[in-house]
Amino acid sequence: MAYPTLAALIMATFLPFAAFLLIMIFTRMKPGLSARLSIGSVAVSFVCSVVLLAQNWAAPGPVEYSTQFLASSGLNVQVGFLADQLGLLMLTIVAAICLLVQIYSLGYMAGDPGFSRYYAFMSLFAWAMLSLSVSRSLLQIYVFWELVGLSSYLLIGFWYEKFSASQAGKKAFVMTRAGDVAFFLGIFVVLLNAGNLGVLELNGPTATRMPHEVLTLSALLIFGGIVGKSAQFPLMTWLPDAMEGPTPVSALLHSATMVAAGVFLFARLFPFFSLSPEAMGVFLAIGTISMLLASTMAMVSRDIKRVWAYSTISQLGLMIMGLAAGGYFAGVFHLTTHAGFKALLFLCSGVFIHHFGTNDFYELGRSGSRGLKIPTISIVIAAAALSGVPPLSGYFSKESIMSALAGLSNPMWLLAGLLGVFLTAYYSFRVMFVMFFPKSVEQESGHAHAPDHAGYRAMTGPLVFLATVTVLLGFFEAPIKNFLAGMLVIDLHAPETNWSHIAALVLSIAGLALAWFEFGRRGAEQVGFVEKIPPLYRLFAERWYLDHIYGLFVDRVIDRGISWLCWQNDNKVIDGAIDELAGGTVEGGRISAFLQTVMIQYRLLAIFAVLVFLAFYFFFEKI
Amino acid sequence: MHMEPANFPYLSAILGTTVAGLIAIMLIPAEKKELIRRVSATFSGITLVISLLLFFAYDRSMGGFQFVEDYSWIPSLGIRYINGVDGFSLPNLLLTGIVFFTGVLTMWEMETRVKEFYALYFLLVTGVFGLFMSLDLFFIFVWYDVSLFPMYLLIAVWGTTRKEYGAMKLTLYLLAGSALILPAVIFLYFKSGLGTFGFVPLMQSGMSGTIAPWEQKFAFILLFLGFGILAGVWPFHTWSPVGHAAAPHAVSMVHAGVLMKIGSFGVLRVAIMLCPVGWSYWAPLMAVLAAIGIIYGAFAGLRQTDLKYVIGYSSVSHMGVVGLGLSTMTVEGLNGAVFQMFAHGIMTALLFSSIGYIYDRTHTKMVPELGGLSRVMPVASTFFIVAALASMGLPGLANFWGELVVFIAAFRTYPPLGVIAVLALVVTALFMLRVVQRTFYGPVDEKFSKLQDVSFFLGVPRMILAAVLVIVGLYPSILFDVIHTASAPFINGLPK
Repeated sequence: MAYPTLAALIMATFLPFAAFLLIMIFTRMKPGLSARLSIGSVAVSFVCSVVLLAQNWAAPGPVEYSTQFLASSGLNVQVGFLADQLGLLMLTIVAAICLLVQIYSLGYMAGDPGFSRYYAFMSLFAWAMLSLSVSRSLLQIYVFWELVGLSSYLLIGFWYEKFSASQAGKKAFVMTRAGDVAFFLGIFVVLLNAGNLGVLELNGPTATRMPHEVLTLSALLIFGGIVGKSAQFPLMTWLPDAMEGPTPVSALLHSATMVAAGVFLFARLFPFFSLSPEAMGVFLAIGTISMLLASTMAMVSRDIKRVWAYSTISQLGLMIMGLAAGGYFAGVFHLTTHAGFKALLFLCSGVFIHHFGTNDFYELGRSGSRGLKIPTISIVIAAAALSGVPPLSGYFSKESIMSALAGLSNPMWLLAGLLGVFLTAYYSFRVMFVMFFPKSVEQESGHAHAPDHAGYRAMTGPLVFLATVTVLLGFFEAPIKNFLAGMLVIDLHAPETNWSHIAALVLSIAGLALAWFEFGRRGAEQVGFVEKIPPLYRLFAERWYLDHIYGLFVDRVIDRGISWLCWQNDNKVIDGAIDELAGGTVEGGRISAFLQTVMIQYRLLAIFAVLVFLAFYFFFEKI
Repeated sequence: MHMEPANFPYLSAILGTTVAGLIAIMLIPAEKKELIRRVSATFSGITLVISLLLFFAYDRSMGGFQFVEDYSWIPSLGIRYINGVDGFSLPNLLLTGIVFFTGVLTMWEMETRVKEFYALYFLLVTGVFGLFMSLDLFFIFVWYDVSLFPMYLLIAVWGTTRKEYGAMKLTLYLLAGSALILPAVIFLYFKSGLGTFGFVPLMQSGMSGTIAPWEQKFAFILLFLGFGILAGVWPFHTWSPVGHAAAPHAVSMVHAGVLMKIGSFGVLRVAIMLCPVGWSYWAPLMAVLAAIGIIYGAFAGLRQTDLKYVIGYSSVSHMGVVGLGLSTMTVEGLNGAVFQMFAHGIMTALLFSSIGYIYDRTHTKMVPELGGLSRVMPVASTFFIVAALASMGLPGLANFWGELVVFIAAFRTYPPLGVIAVLALVVTALFMLRVVQRTFYGPVDEKFSKLQDVSFFLGVPRMILAAVLVIVGLYPSILFDVIHTASAPFINGLPK
């Protein structure tokens, strides 16, 4: 029993890494083979993860494998696998989405000069993300966390000849690095105070031995990493820019899996975090702010991918709210459903973008985007799930988050959550109505016919599968809840309030109706109410001026401030002093040389003077 | 201190090989450039093989000094020819072997005064090898100067940017360092009263307190500053970016990769191990200077537009990490510091080797004049990017582990300094990614579009270096196991 599990875990995590190395070293020149290697390896990972999930469906507790690592450095760090319910669930989600996106990419990336490189980076990502899901210690999580960040950097900047792409990649890396530094320091605090970095130990008795202030401090520091990776306030602005990457990358990394790693880490350390109510309060606030800010940004964007990016930030904020409110299951379940429907949204959008060559959904609508039947139906299902329309998966998970929020004593959080529900439905269906009920259609649209070639089929296959999952997943709420109940951390005392369910449903329908009124009905102007209030529109469109502030900070404080000072100090102060010293030495040499050589004609005089002096001296001494 | 005699003089064989190579190069007529290159590659390859052999043959369970050779040389002064390696010097010896060999291959295309270049290069490396293996202070001092002298000529003759200025500045700085070291060595020689320059007896008298505390404090600060100049300790670092930029590529590789390690190794071997009381007295100063160096180097690097200056300043920052590790007075700190010496040496050699290739093709190393090279030379660019990622402390590549262990040790001993050092990770990432973006990404410049990517043969040195970064990055214990055999007994044997 034990060894097959271990073998499956090793296969699931390491095969993509092998594929990465093989592609980088051997098959760069053979795109077809590279794609097969990559897809094959992730398919095996997927099978392994499903087998593991099935095998452990009824398992009583976590399965752990560990081995000593870095013993000789003086640190005691255990590494290995932790296969518990949460880890296996995440493993399966990641493997499934990776597989679907890689198949989809066969069509999307066909003919790209960097095809092999693309699949190499995808495999690198799969390795890092799968390993992250089943890591047993915080240090191990950090290692894969950074590697996931690396693959994100490489994939955002995949079309590196575009300045905006390489710029966005750099921004993503540096901003998440800023959060990761906090995470890194948090790990140090934990290591020095608890003496252990194992996830299970931290969630168990070890943490209770830490002083309360230290525990809060380390929780807040670790949360810094979550803020960076899940693009929460105030480190949120890298994610919309990350849409410069190929669309399948956005689907995989920047919506379904990588950015969810932050929320996953929250869930991983949930019992540890919940020992500090102060920290949980901060998390709740950060999640709420992120959710609302991002929703407002989504209301005014005309770029379809950016709308979904803002929506990702907002939904991740919602998951964090759910978790911070004590709703462990609610957060994890929303993570699961969100992975499905958000990937679907991006993949559908990708088909439209690939086909019509624009990201502007007004433009897409005018070009006749509804001619593509499968993507149109799928994207509507996904948007409805995002808005929380029953009976799609998003409805169920959102409702459970709302009940978690309703369990808090302060009703403010629930109201904020409900506002979020309303805004989400509004901006999602704004896109849908503009795309599929355009004011005018350019009637040349011969190219709106669904193309029937292998590339298109490779792209639509995953859509159908994901759409099916989105429709059905909600009905599996109870089994998933039972499965996760094995974690024994589910806060079961969350009261089942019906009115929050009903309020959420009403608000999402209200949002939908407002979108219909402004964008959908016959004769609608297709101008949102925000656009009619210029100051508000500017605030939202400029993303609350966050990027301006960061730009100013980097320019004024870092580049022209500290960096300038250091460089001036090197040139003027240190080197200035050294050059003066050298110059002074040369000058001193010149003076003594002058005394030695140039004075030669005066030497006789000097000798004479000395002799005279000595003569007088001795003469007078005698007396 | 355990001394295991060698059954074969492996260490002298390394020195013998470099000297034999030097003589062979001198005997070949200057026109036969290809032959000179092959001979250089062969002899440097032999040293690499021997150092690899030693690295794996070293008995990790026994520890102490192994492969020891001990011959009397000038008995009246107590000067002996003693060689031996322990866990501190072994990684550095291996590092030297790797950088030496890959440096020869990196300079394969150079055409000016090939014979003289390789002769001086071999002389330089002889000094470096000698310093890492010698256990006699007199010899350590001599080897130090042997490795400095060729440096001046190598930079002044084959260099590029402001070469005379750079060469002169570097030489003056390093001679100032040796002017501080020599009196300290003589001071220790007399104060110990043993009449020997031998490292092991002197270390025992330092440990037992035969050398009085104030004497140790005095000698320590001289030795720390003397060797520290070579290690790029802030504020004595300004020779290093200038020198890096002026030097020819292989010399930059040896210079940043190995010579700076001589400095930090000297601080460890001579200053710390001989004067432990002085160490504990001055450690806070070391830590502050190191932390300033880490953050200062990163910020100063942000403004640079010359690729070699960028790497020069990143070296200042990374050597600060070594210094910080050495200042913590813990096993972890020393482990991390020595690990970081190795990792930084390999990483920076790879950076300079890649820049060498780029410079030979584009004839510029100014970042604003470059761009889009990833399209034209994808493989060459990949090498640079791998090294840049290592320099940013990315897990999976060697440098991460060194930094991790040092930071944890520093965080325990000097919490505020540890935090400052960790914050520098963001700045390093920012400036490295900027350089990568401006050099390799973006549209291809018209004038570069015809350039060739690195051939398989020219790729070999870069491949070796990149492979070492990855192997050590995935399996860091390969180094930690060795280093630990030296650091743990030393720290545990310190006088309370």
